[in-house]
Amino acid sequence: MKEITAVIRRDKLQETKKVLEDLGFPSVSIQSVDGRGKQRGMVCNNDLDPDLPDSFCTPAKLKPTPATYALVHALPTVALFVPKRMLTMVVPDDLVTMIVKSIISVNKTGKTGDGKIFVSPVEGAIRVRTSETGGEAIA
Amino acid sequence: MKMIRAFIRPEKEQEVVQALEGAGFPSLTKMPVFGRGKQKGLQVGPIHYDELPKMLVMMVVNDTEVDRVVKLMIEKSKTGFVGDGKIFISPVEVAYTVRTGEAVL
Repeated sequence: MKEITAVIRRDKLQETKKVLEDLGFPSVSIQSVDGRGKQRGMVCNNDLDPDLPDSFCTPAKLKPTPATYALVHALPTVALFVPKRMLTMVVPDDLVTMIVKSIISVNKTGKTGDGKIFVSPVEGAIRVRTSETGGEAIA
Repeated sequence: MKMIRAFIRPEKEQEVVQALEGAGFPSLTKMPVFGRGKQKGLQVGPIHYDELPKMLVMMVVNDTEVDRVVKLMIEKSKTGFVGDGKIFISPVEVAYTVRTGEAVL
């Protein structure tokens, strides 16, 4: 068994869910998280995420002098963290590559901020209702 | 690669993030969580708090960098009182970048 942790764009969540459902993997945990990558956040007011809440945007860092005080209002604000959705799912070993490929194909826009997918091993799984273990629990 | 999940005090989060950024680890995911440790929460006078707010910082780094990141996190989030949090490290086999579809961190 492997655990797939995918951090993706907020607006791609429904499409991703649809594709996973069509593949036969409707079981997924979804969480709202804030994240950033090696770009250290992003510039607000651009087309990467039009629905970015204002609470995530902070003014650009500048030394407070009279000149920069006027400038700071003209500069774009930056978001140090960007709201994302984190999907977690546990799947059988042989289907990991196929599921990862399909998640990538849905979420790929070619712009920064598309997200990351991590695959890590899981030692056991138990279905609480029936106490089934192992492969039966995630089937 | 290893995934580091650190449960730290929410007020120490910014300090930890800035220290990590300074050391060259800007990429991370954070989420607010509620939890308790072996002290079963917190007793303040007559009021008992069963679960306390924490910040979960999640990041995936190369094997060689784990010690450095963990040391930095401990250094910045330590207060010496109960409730400083825990750090868990687990293996990650592959990390894909969605934009390129490549299996590199």
